[in-house]
Amino acid sequence: MPVSRREFLNLLAAAGGAGAVVKAGAALGIMPADAAASTLDLAAGNGRSAVILGGGISGLATAYELGKAGWDCTVLEASHRCGGRIFTVRHGTLIDELGNRQYCEFDDEPHMYFNAGAARIPNTHRTLLSYCKELGVELEIFINENKTCWVQDDALLGGKPVRNIEYTTHMRGFVAELMAKAMHESDMDEPFTEAEAETLLGMIRSFGDLSEDNVYRGSFNAGFASGGFLNEGVQKDIIAFRDLLKTPFAMTLLRTNEGETGPILLQARGGMDRITEGFLRQVGDRVSYRAMVASIQVRDDGVEVAYDQDGARRQIRADYCFNCIPTHLVTGLDHNFPAHYVRALKFVLRGEAYKAAFQAKERFWEKQDIYGGISWMNNRSQQIWYPVAGIHQQKGVILAAYDYGGGMYHTRMTQQERVEAHLADGEKVHRDYRNLVEKPVTVGWHRMNHMLGCSARWRRSFREGWTGETEDHYRTLQAPVNGRHYLIGDQVSMRSAWMESALLSAHWAMNDLDRRLRNAPA
Amino acid sequence: MIRLAFICLLCVASLASAAEREPFDDRYCTTCHGADGRGNEGVQAPRLAGMEPWYLKRQLENYRDGIRGTHPDDIEGVAMQPMAAMLTDESIQDIIEWVGGWNYVPAEHTISGDIDAGRTLYQPCATCHGADAEGNEALGAPALAGQNDWYMVTQIRNFLAGYRGVHPQDVYGAQMRVMTTGLNGENDINNVVAYINSLSD
Repeated sequence: MPVSRREFLNLLAAAGGAGAVVKAGAALGIMPADAAASTLDLAAGNGRSAVILGGGISGLATAYELGKAGWDCTVLEASHRCGGRIFTVRHGTLIDELGNRQYCEFDDEPHMYFNAGAARIPNTHRTLLSYCKELGVELEIFINENKTCWVQDDALLGGKPVRNIEYTTHMRGFVAELMAKAMHESDMDEPFTEAEAETLLGMIRSFGDLSEDNVYRGSFNAGFASGGFLNEGVQKDIIAFRDLLKTPFAMTLLRTNEGETGPILLQARGGMDRITEGFLRQVGDRVSYRAMVASIQVRDDGVEVAYDQDGARRQIRADYCFNCIPTHLVTGLDHNFPAHYVRALKFVLRGEAYKAAFQAKERFWEKQDIYGGISWMNNRSQQIWYPVAGIHQQKGVILAAYDYGGGMYHTRMTQQERVEAHLADGEKVHRDYRNLVEKPVTVGWHRMNHMLGCSARWRRSFREGWTGETEDHYRTLQAPVNGRHYLIGDQVSMRSAWMESALLSAHWAMNDLDRRLRNAPA
Repeated sequence: MIRLAFICLLCVASLASAAEREPFDDRYCTTCHGADGRGNEGVQAPRLAGMEPWYLKRQLENYRDGIRGTHPDDIEGVAMQPMAAMLTDESIQDIIEWVGGWNYVPAEHTISGDIDAGRTLYQPCATCHGADAEGNEALGAPALAGQNDWYMVTQIRNFLAGYRGVHPQDVYGAQMRVMTTGLNGENDINNVVAYINSLSD
């Protein structure tokens, strides 16, 4: 006779005490286990050396971890700064975009910054969060979804911006009404007990805020047209179902609060580059800047790297090499990688993401009850992000555009054209936008010096996903070359673009090397 | 030494305008075009090492003056154009000398095609580019042998599609547009490039 889960737990409690119950409960999915960050337990370096190519977060974490284990590490960074796509733009920051160099002119205030690359830390990215704790990087809550923000589409209500909460409340109401009708008309009760069907109908009513007769007649969830405190609240007009369906946001707005960008998200207080600085406090003396790699030769007893610095070709030799240079730049180096490895390097495509920001002369969004969050626009600028930093200060920095997929549309424009495009898009949401913002900065990641791309694109299309061929190339790049050279970074993960992926990739490489060193004959 | 002079020249220029600011790194060429200008398929940037100084000069000037790299579908050209737009005559000369110091490494072959068919297709090309695709300065035709084959494929496509060679001042480009009309479809393009590859074996 099968034992029920609860009986099974009772049996275990009798045998092994409460600790065993907790562990088994986690295994059976009843009680949650504590979240575990990826950790390393590396053997002592014993004077071994590593050359780390690229001062992105995976390279810095490698230098930090190997350094703790007593390795001799050197980081070669091609640009004037570490962090790669962890890039916070503030007063005086150089944006070294090819053909479009900019110096940021924002006011010199702590809250006046723009995270042009990494900007959100999901609460489940444990390894990154654990480093933030270890390195003393102060975190604060980031607000991604704010239903007071706007939704704007020229096809919806003649282009009039609508509060996200209005749109989604009405959409839920009409969808719930359909569900409730379907439940009565078909034999939906069939698979459910009476109690289950009652609960389901209750959920549908509550989901859409339906009346007793299962009809949607508007909801105070969408906000008050007037009143609400000292006078009775007046309900806002309903937007017709047919109107709601005129925008493709119908397909996305109800799920923007889910998944990896669902709450809780965090950010480093003062700018995401505080994370880079946290690592640099530990390993900054190991980093050589403006050192541009020209050659990687993997030998049986180590790795030889040639690089250009101060107008001279220099050489460094180390026992092992960890390389977070983007794949599409590695292909342009002198190297002796095997043919199948080069094929895999060439398979990965360059990301095209694009972001832009303005300094706002006043925090006009706060006058509209908006504190943080994103307004969605069905135009090429796509999003406006309102800052969490500096609430109720005079000025703030807003994200004016974020094209995370096909950023080439703006990348190909001149700076003036980009700025005009974002002003024209943004003024559809905020009246007088053009006069309220100034000091634009734009970042076309496809052209950023020494990176020439945003996060690696492994998939040929979203529909296709990861094919067997894709995964073969991925495993090829994850494996070391001749046991001496490891490619690392979020590019060597199945979820590129996240700092967590970069860290886990570095941990994978270090663990793999550590395991091989421990197993090697003395 | 030449390279050092080039870097210092531009660094000084930038420092003069804003002394307190981060000076920028002016070794931009190799970011895209690879170590020692060997070309980089990963960003579709062609080999510069070994390129004739007169051809490099003409193309940099064409880019700078908007004669090349302005058609929105010339994907790599529009990335190059703003880079060249900030160059002075002096810095173009410095770049040419810098590039001249790089070791020439023949490009790896990545295109396969029918070499015999390509030989026939190449005959009109040989008039300007030479029987061994060695180039001819007097006719303004650059060497093709040793250039990245994927780059030659892209450029032939660009000429055919009118992404390159349509500016009224692009005299040589206009000639190329006429010549490439003899190539019908991707097979012809691959075959002629495969033949050019065979010349540098």
